[in-house]
Amino acid sequence: MVAASQHPNITMMTWSEVEKVDGYIGNFDVTIRQKAKYVDYDKCTGCGLCETKCPKKVNSEYDLGLGKRKSIYKPFAQAVPNKPIIDHKSCRKINEDKCGVCEKICPVGAINYDDEDKLVTERFGAVVMATGYDLFGWQEAYGEYGYGKYPDVITGLHFERMSNASGPTDGKILRPSDGTEPKTVVFIKCVGSRDEAKGKSYCSRACCMYTAKHAHQVKEKIEDSEAIVFYMDVRTPGKSYEEFYQRALDDGAVYVRGRVSKIYKQGEKLIVRGEDSLIGKQVEVEADMVVLATAMVPSIGSAKIASTVGFATDKDGFFQESHPKLRPVETFTAGVFLAGACQGPKDIPDTVAQASAAAVKVCGLFSKDNLATDPMISTVNESICSGCAICQPVCPYGAIEMKNIEERAQGKTIERQVASVNKGLCQGCGSCTVACRSGAINLQGFTNEQILAEVDAVCL
Amino acid sequence: MKRIGVFVCHCGTNIAATVDVAHVAEVAKAMPNVAFATDYKFMCSEPGQEEIRKAIKEYNLNGVVVAACTPRLHEPTFQKALERSGINPYLLEIANIREQCAWVHSKEKAAATDKAVELVRMAVAKASKNVALYSTDVPVNKRALVVGAGIAGMQAALDIADSGHQVVLLERESTIGGKMVMLDKVFPTLDCSA
Repeated sequence: MVAASQHPNITMMTWSEVEKVDGYIGNFDVTIRQKAKYVDYDKCTGCGLCETKCPKKVNSEYDLGLGKRKSIYKPFAQAVPNKPIIDHKSCRKINEDKCGVCEKICPVGAINYDDEDKLVTERFGAVVMATGYDLFGWQEAYGEYGYGKYPDVITGLHFERMSNASGPTDGKILRPSDGTEPKTVVFIKCVGSRDEAKGKSYCSRACCMYTAKHAHQVKEKIEDSEAIVFYMDVRTPGKSYEEFYQRALDDGAVYVRGRVSKIYKQGEKLIVRGEDSLIGKQVEVEADMVVLATAMVPSIGSAKIASTVGFATDKDGFFQESHPKLRPVETFTAGVFLAGACQGPKDIPDTVAQASAAAVKVCGLFSKDNLATDPMISTVNESICSGCAICQPVCPYGAIEMKNIEERAQGKTIERQVASVNKGLCQGCGSCTVACRSGAINLQGFTNEQILAEVDAVCL
Repeated sequence: MKRIGVFVCHCGTNIAATVDVAHVAEVAKAMPNVAFATDYKFMCSEPGQEEIRKAIKEYNLNGVVVAACTPRLHEPTFQKALERSGINPYLLEIANIREQCAWVHSKEKAAATDKAVELVRMAVAKASKNVALYSTDVPVNKRALVVGAGIAGMQAALDIADSGHQVVLLERESTIGGKMVMLDKVFPTLDCSA
């Protein structure tokens, strides 16, 4: 993180989103919305005084509700950049015109309650999409696990926050309900993954390994603890992965092959009922805490940004690569590349490898000063174009403009409007050629004449 | 006058186990404007491309039909083969007789062969109307935008930046790091995630 923030060639734009993308490979004009931070980062020194004095507390997104944060906040102490923003939804000054403590206390006058979103447009030669994943909303799908109403049924990410030394429990594994240390922790794998009925058909790939890690951490951090893992399969296809899983077993983690059919509360305990399919019997575990390995799904907002930037998504909403084996980091839109879990669930080693691959593709593109465009694009026969402009809204790439031409007709020079194709923007999809009523637009390489010749060859 | 060469690929047994490739090549010889037709085990291989190059020279071809896999896979391969042989790469036409024929009709060999002939006939008809096309140059702006600053975004940004190019690393949250910063130790090495 720090390496990225300190690199002289990297400009960070945090609290920002892509608003609009025009242009084409080598020449994308990207409009970026820089959301209002209400803090002037040029003045702010990141001293943190405002955060300590802010009286308003809300649930911390970074701690997944396990901890609190202030209205003016850094998500966590080591955030990069190490400067706060004001959450305008909960800030009392912005909403009720009360308080204003942070402005009074800031020694450099960096607080600005009147800050507004800014739009900036910049030109880029290439775009790398690395928007990541979110977790499957298990609460709606898995009623048998309590619809999320038992506080001690948590996800793997909650477990990570507690296990993390800078997390809300300072690295201790505690039951969210009463803050006591759980002795028996049950892990359930494939919650939403490999479950076509309730979740997703695919395997989320990282869960087998992080569950093994969690089981190891329970055994390591909690004395006399039990870690029981319900699984369908244990998938460890990676360097040193199988050995890692064996280590969790050696630590004393108990693996039970079978699905959990119900979790219910009995006193302070959670009763986990499932089957052990290897012995063909029902089993019941009295657990203190249950950790669900929930499926990875595309990050919230993925569909929107895919349509804004202009590339395809797959059946599950992940970003579609050009070819699953041969072009895994390219999209069908030239100049837009993919890295990490936005393309499909993957773990850290695979993510890093794919990110480096995408970077190489960008550097390959940047090794050229000029780029040859595909000549299979639309052309307009101006002599028959009626200038009706029907082709214009049909074009998904905004490649058609109307222009005026001068013509000699019946001894007079007249000016009229015709369609004109931007050679850089046109991707050769052919939509305009079908929409054109006068047949004035042809796709080079797929002209009407060529296609009719094919039809004649097979029909006549 | 068009002089078209037709090259039918076996793709090992991918096509040849279903389609009678020699028959397809034989029928193609009699199609309009076809000056030469042959079949070969792997058209995309070095010797396969050499067949194309030799035929272009020997028969002075100005059109090429390769009946093989989807153009998504090897159209650029064969376009380059044409270019190396001194003719415009857009004089190439691909008849997809693998994905759109052999693979989907593996139980109906005779009908698949007939369909392959028809696909080649269409491609020959189109190739007869193909004209040379030329690409134009557009400038490349050497700045990259990386959308998302988790593990993938930071790694990509660092690699591009280390190569000497300017990168804007965009993140919708107020800190970079993504999900990574929420994690504790990570497998399989159990080192810290940050």
